[in-house]
Parts: sequence; structure tokens; C-alpha cells
Amino acid sequence: MIRATNRPGSPTVFHERRTYRRRRVMDAARVAPVLALLLWMIPMIWPQSGAGTVSSATALIYIFLVWAGVILLTWGLSRLLGDDAEDASDSDA
Amino acid sequence: MSSLNVLFAVCTAYVLFLFFVAFAADRLALKEKKAWLRSPLIYTLSLSIYCTAWTFYGAVGSAARNGFEYLTIYLGPTLVMISWWWLLRKLIRIGRTQKITSIADLISSRYGKSSLLAAGVTILAVIGTTPYIALQLQSVTLSFSVFAAQSDGLAAQDQARLALWLSLGLAVFTVLFGTRNLDAKERHDGVVMAIAVEAVVKLVALLSVGVFVVWGVSGGLTEALNQIDASEFGEWHTDRSRWAGLIFLSAAAFLCLPRTFQVLVVENDDESHLRTASWAFPLYLCLISLFVVPIAVVGLGIMPKGSNPDLFVLTVPLALGQDGLAMLSFLGGFSSATSMVIVAAIALSTMVSNHIVMPIWLQLRPSGASVSGDVRAAVLMARRISIVGVVMLGYLYFRLSSGGEALASIGLVAFCGLAQVLPAMLGGMFWRGATRMGAFAGLTAGFATWLYTLYLPSFGIGTILPVSIVENGLFGLPWLKPDALFGITGMDQLMHALLWSMLFNVVSFVTVSLVTFPSPLERLQAAQFVNIFEHSTNARSWSGGTAQAEDLMVMAQRILGAKDAQALFLRHARRQGARGNLPAPTPDFLESLERELGSSVGAATAHAMVGQITGGMAISVEDLMAVADETAQMLEYSARLKEQSEELSRTALELRNANQKLTRLSIQKDAFLSQISHELRTPMTSIRAFSEILRDTDQMNPEDQSRYASIIHDEAQRLTRLLDDLLDLSVVENGQVNLNLRDGTLRDALDRAVASAALGEDGVPLQIERDVAKEQIGLHTDLDRLSQVFINLIANARKYCDAESPRLVIRVMQEVDRVVIDFQDNGSGIAPEAVDMIFEKFARVSDQKAGGAGLGLAICRQVMTRLGGAVDYVPAARGANFRVVLPYRTAMAAQ
Repeated sequence: MIRATNRPGSPTVFHERRTYRRRRVMDAARVAPVLALLLWMIPMIWPQSGAGTVSSATALIYIFLVWAGVILLTWGLSRLLGDDAEDASDSDA
Repeated sequence: MSSLNVLFAVCTAYVLFLFFVAFAADRLALKEKKAWLRSPLIYTLSLSIYCTAWTFYGAVGSAARNGFEYLTIYLGPTLVMISWWWLLRKLIRIGRTQKITSIADLISSRYGKSSLLAAGVTILAVIGTTPYIALQLQSVTLSFSVFAAQSDGLAAQDQARLALWLSLGLAVFTVLFGTRNLDAKERHDGVVMAIAVEAVVKLVALLSVGVFVVWGVSGGLTEALNQIDASEFGEWHTDRSRWAGLIFLSAAAFLCLPRTFQVLVVENDDESHLRTASWAFPLYLCLISLFVVPIAVVGLGIMPKGSNPDLFVLTVPLALGQDGLAMLSFLGGFSSATSMVIVAAIALSTMVSNHIVMPIWLQLRPSGASVSGDVRAAVLMARRISIVGVVMLGYLYFRLSSGGEALASIGLVAFCGLAQVLPAMLGGMFWRGATRMGAFAGLTAGFATWLYTLYLPSFGIGTILPVSIVENGLFGLPWLKPDALFGITGMDQLMHALLWSMLFNVVSFVTVSLVTFPSPLERLQAAQFVNIFEHSTNARSWSGGTAQAEDLMVMAQRILGAKDAQALFLRHARRQGARGNLPAPTPDFLESLERELGSSVGAATAHAMVGQITGGMAISVEDLMAVADETAQMLEYSARLKEQSEELSRTALELRNANQKLTRLSIQKDAFLSQISHELRTPMTSIRAFSEILRDTDQMNPEDQSRYASIIHDEAQRLTRLLDDLLDLSVVENGQVNLNLRDGTLRDALDRAVASAALGEDGVPLQIERDVAKEQIGLHTDLDRLSQVFINLIANARKYCDAESPRLVIRVMQEVDRVVIDFQDNGSGIAPEAVDMIFEKFARVSDQKAGGAGLGLAICRQVMTRLGGAVDYVPAARGANFRVVLPYRTAMAAQ
């Protein structure tokens, strides 16, 4: 927003969109743990016995794939939430 | 034996290497080359303190026994790390802003700086961590015995000795590098660096074993996966409640364990490091747990039945003849154990010394903290003793539990105990309504439930908890059985304890918080914690400027001791280039002062104390003072006492002065009486004598007769004059005189005075210089009285001026609000020691020219006071100079 006032000619819509994006990234950062938790809770609904039981190798691959996905997601979010995404815009939008 | 010797050698070399790393890091830190010492990478690696020997060895053991359950121990912390944006960032900001030194400090700081809560959390932490330290010692001795088993085994006696030496070595390391800085808030660069190195060793060791097992033994990834499916693991069987419960438990523990809190919050140097750690630490955890299942499967396959799965990481490479790999693996386990003990000891010692030892020590000292110059040394000693105490407690626990199987389960038991802090912690961070009583109730309820349902039973039934209680319940009430509260049976013991303890904890915490009312300090802290991002941009700096350097000095002297405080202030004054000994209260200076104080009295207290003086806090100082904790109250009380005693001494001084004045007055009165009687008697004596001569002498020639009669007449006149003067003085002095206010000019008054003073002039004539033009000032005053004063001054000049050609200059000056008339002669003036006396009654400068009673100037002064002006003696370059001052009012009223 500060830059927008510095350059009156440039379209402020762009900056507002950027601020808006950043807030949504923050939302994503808040939601990410919930997603991870949900994905890791899925093994709880796998059948424990009888037909359709999940093999150990599959379970292992699933959990580690989720893990890798979560790490990648967090890495991406942490890059988007760089130093400039500081407290001024911390409050919910 | 040879392999054991090699092991000892490698071990010693490794320990020496760690000492070197820590030492080098500390040296680098001293040289201000901190850039890479404090990089996000080091921070991330130091977080691996979470993975202890229990996870290094135990994960494979757990996988072999319980399948995939081991993963939960790593999934929980991963979830916490990826919650960095809304959880950890806030926690670290709070920690940095409030200068938190431990988790106990955090809880106490949030709930109105309650020392009771701090002590409670500390005790909980000690109880929860001691078995954990014992567990590390056990894992190291076990791993030693694995190697020893290859040669001639390791006797139990040797194991104990080994554990003892290990504990001593760790205690020495921790004391050396953990208490280098007095300040608990300052980073332990050496320790953190050593832990980061150990983190790498752990990871490399486990990955090496994993890679060896998958590609070296199983023959590739696909084969390894097939092997897993074919093994006892087979299909997915995991207790659902344990899966969910353990994820929660490990997440809670990651936040609440003293050692993880230490590296996560206390040792954090830069908030931005968290951004990297948020994904890098989950990656670390992922890698650590990646090969656990393959190792377990291979171990189960190749090791004989009944071998301890906890040691597969070691025994599998050994069994396959990979001695080097086994050695690396051993070092990994050794690293995990040592780093855990070191950091846990630092964290616990900070808590124990700050929240238990120091309060007691200060209580026991009769003088209290007010004159404690030796607090710093005491804190340091307390911390060192605490470190040794904590490590030795772990050793003792190891010996008493005789390293049995019971220890293996203690990890989760400890997690569950420390997780009791979580509700108070999260509640404090996100809910302003959480109160101290609520936190206390929650902690107590949770802690008690945990103790009864999990901790005490973990020692084995019949050791601490009697068999009767376990079988029949407490007091014989079946619904109070430690493993089946309220008659709910069939639950896993850990989940049962976790469920009930957390339930009681949260319910008591919330309920009591809702019904109790927080103290003002609690409410302020609550606002600060919950709205931390609105109260701080980064670690808060003081916006001093109004601070009183003297006040700070007084406070610092009380806490640091006079010498140290003065040295500190002087150093900063020099650095600032200040002229005096007191530096200006710049934010820099205040911050470093606060750090110094914090090392003695705890950071929160120091912060508040500096805040009280500087007034630079976001919350108002008055509020803080009003609700001040014990320290502040004590200070306030002592300040009040000081004020009162100052008032008393002021009163005493006044009384003393009054008494002195009275004594002086009494002496003056006596002198006055004796003077006056003397003055009256002298003429009386001559009058009597001469009148007797006249009466008794018959034959007397007329000349003599007339001479005697004139003497009598003169003396009688002198008496009359004296009495007139006395009367005049007393009248003027008592204010009974009626002023005869008239209009006139200053010139008239002076003319009259000069004329009357010239009457009866004999001897050398006094030459009077005047500037008549300047004397044209209208007056509205009692001109007769004013003339009387002038006459007196001129007569005095005539009488006392000792110049050959006496000359008097009468100078008139008109100033803004007054008229000044100077009477300056060219004589030798009045001796400085006599100046004080000349306006006193019967004071005469010299006896040689005793012409009057010495009342003239006293009367002048009284008259001038009555007229609203003054007459003074003004020392001049030469001659006597009397100055008469008339107020402007008097002068202007006539114009």
C-alpha cells in the first residue's frame, strides 16, 4: 500500500490484489496443519482386519508421501510468507 | 576386549571433539563472528534435541513391537512445526518479548508472575525429566554392553561405573558451556553448536544403517517393501486411539518438554529462522524415521528370537560384520543421549535455580535482596549445583530402577506428564480470560491424575502403589482404580491416563478461570501475551529518555552490588562519551542493564524493574506499580520508609534549628539587658556623682557649679536620647508605629537629612556629593521616617569615616521595580567579620568613637522594613557602602 501511494500512476488494484493474496497465503499457512492432520488421520479409518486391509508397504508409502507433500507445502508457504509479510498485515482480513 | 577398547577410544575422541566444537563456537561468538553460528540451519539442527536415544534406538524397537506406532512420535512435532505461522511464531515472539528463560518462566510470567506456578511447573519438569535422563544413561550402557558382549561382556558393576562416569562427564560439559554466560537468556553458542553437530551425527548414523539395510541387505527398495509386506508387519494394524492419542501427545510434548522449549524458544536468536525450520525440521524428522521399519524388519528377520529390538540399530550391523557402521551407529546413539542430557540439564537447572533455589535463598537471607551484591555469584552457583543435581538425580534413578525394562516405557510416561502444561500454556497464549487460579487448578488436577494413573503404576505394581489400591481402587472404591477410573475398563493404560488427566486438566482450567477474577497484573500480562503482535514489532526495545539514571543506578547497585553496578554504568558512560559517571538512558544501555539484572533476579522481574523506572513499557507504569509483585511491594515499602525517615530527620533538623535560635535569642536578650543596664548606669552614675557634689559642696565657684550642672544636663539628655531610641525601636519593632504617609520627592528627604546631619558639625567637615537631577523621584511614603534613616546613615559616615578629607557620595539609581540609594564614603569601610553585626542592637564597630547607643542602624533597618524597603551593607571596592532600597510601588505611587 505504501508503494501504491508512492507511485500514483501505477494501478492500485495490483497492490490490493497482492495484499489480498498474501492474506490468503496466511490463511493457507493456518489451515495446512489441519490438512496434514486430516491426511494422517486417514489410516484410522482403514479396516483393521478382513478384506481391504492396507498392506504395510502401502501404508508406509502413503504416510511418507503425505509427509513429503507437507514439507513441500510448508516450504512453499514459508517462502511466500517472507520477511515482508510482517505484522502489519497480520490481522485477519 | 580390543573392540571395547577401540570403543572407549572412539568415545573419548568424540567427547573431546565435542568439547572442541563447543569451545571453538564460544570463541567465535566472542569474536562477534556469529553470522553462521546463528544461521537457520543451526537452529533447525538444534531442534533435533527432541530425538533422543529413546527415539534413536527405541523407534526401531517400537516398530518391531507395535508396528507403525513409532511414526506418531514424529508426526506430532511435524504438525507443530507446520503450525509455525499461528502457533510457534507467537510463542517465540512472546518468549523474546517477555524475556522468557524456561517453560516455567513462561507460565509464571503469563499468570501474573506467580512464583507458585513457576515452582509447580519446575517440579513437574524435574519429575518428568529425571527418568528420561536415566533412560539416556541406560541406552548408552546398553550399547556399550552390546560391544562388550562380543568380547567378554560387561558386568553390572562396570555398567554402573560407566553410567557414573558418563553422568560426571556430561555434568562437567554442561557446567563448562552451559553456565558460561550468567544470563540465562543469552544464547549458549557452544552448546547449540555441539548439539547441531550431534544432530548431524545422529542423522548420518541412522541413514547409513538404513541405506545399508535397504540396499545392502534387502537388495533394493522394492525388495525391502516386499520384505515388509511379507514380515510380521503384514497389514496395517494400529490401535486407533493410540494413533491419535500419541500424535497429540508427541505434539504436546514437543511444545512442553523443557529441552525442546529451551532450543525452540529460549535459544532462538532470530524469528526468521523459524521460517526455515518450519519445513526443514519436518524434513529432518522424516529422514530420521524413514528407515526405521526396514531396519526393524531386517532385524526381526536375521536376529535370534528374544534379542532386544531396541538395539537392532547396533546389533544388525554388528551381526553382519559391519563394525565400522556399528561404530557410527553407536556414535549416533551416544550423540542422542548426550545432547539430550546436556540441554535438559541446562533447561532444568535454569528453572530450578530461578524458581526454587533463588527464592528460598533470598528468603533465608535475613537482609533480603536489598543489599545483595553477591546475588550474581549465588545465581551462578545455584545453576551449577542444579546442573550437577539434575544429572545426578538421573543417575540415581538409573541405579535405583536398576536399568530394568520399566525404563523403556518411561519416555511416553514423561511426555504425558509434561503435556499437562499444555492447556495452561496454549490457554495463556490465546485466551485472555485464563487466570492464575485456573492454570493452577488445571495443572494440579492433571498432574495428580497423571501421577495416580500413570506415573506411580509405571514403577510396577506393588513398588509404590500398593497392590490393594490397584486391585480395589483408592479407599476401596472400585471406580477409583488407577487403570480404570469411573469403571471404564479395557482402555490402553497410557491412553486412559492421557484422556483423564487432560480432561480433568482442561475442565478445571477452564472452569476455575471462568469463575475467578484475575489480578490487574495478570490481566496486563494476558493482554500482552494474547495480543503480542500488537504490542511488539520485534523484541521490544526501551524507549527510554525519561528514565532517571540515578534511579537506575540505585536499583542496579541493590542487585548487582555497588562495584559491579558502578563499573557497568561507567563503561556505558564512556562508550556514550558522557562526561559524568552516569550514562544517558539510551535503549541500548537499558537493554544491556536489563540483561545484567535478569541474570540475577530472572528476566521478567528485571524487565519490570527497569520498566518501573524508565516508564517505557507499553503498559502503564502506575498499573504495574499498583499491582506490583512482592519485589515491587518491598521496594515501594522501603521507599515509603525512606521517605518517612527523611521527613523525620527533616523535622529533627528544624527542631534543632529552632532550639539553636531560641538559645541565641536568650543569649541576645541577656546581652541586651546587660548592655542596657550598662548604658543606663553610666550616665546615671555621673548624674548621681555630680549632683552629690553639688549638694554636698558648700563652697563652690560658679564656673564649677555651671560645669557640673551642664554635665548633669548632658548626661540626662543622653539618657533621654537613649530611652527615646529604645522606645522608638520597640515601637517600630512591634509594628505599633503609625506611618505618616505623604507625597514628596526623594530630593526633599535627602535635603532635609543632609541639613539635619550638618547641625552640630565639628571637626573635619564631611563633603557630600549628590546628583540632584537624579533625585527627582516622587515618593509616597513616610518622609520623616525615611529622612531619619538617611540622617542616621550620613551621621554614621561622619562619625566613622576615617579618611583625611571625608567624602560621602549619595548615588540614586532607578531600576525596573525599585529605587536604590547608595551612601558610599571614602573611609576604610567595615571589617568583613563585623558586617554581620552592624544591624544588631548595641552593636558598635569600634569603641573609640562611641557616640551613640548602637541602636541607629537597628532602627534604620526596622524602619525600612516597615516602609517595605531594605537597608543593607554592600561591600564596595573602597569605603563603606550602605544601600537603601525603596520599592517601586512607593516610588511610583506619587507620580
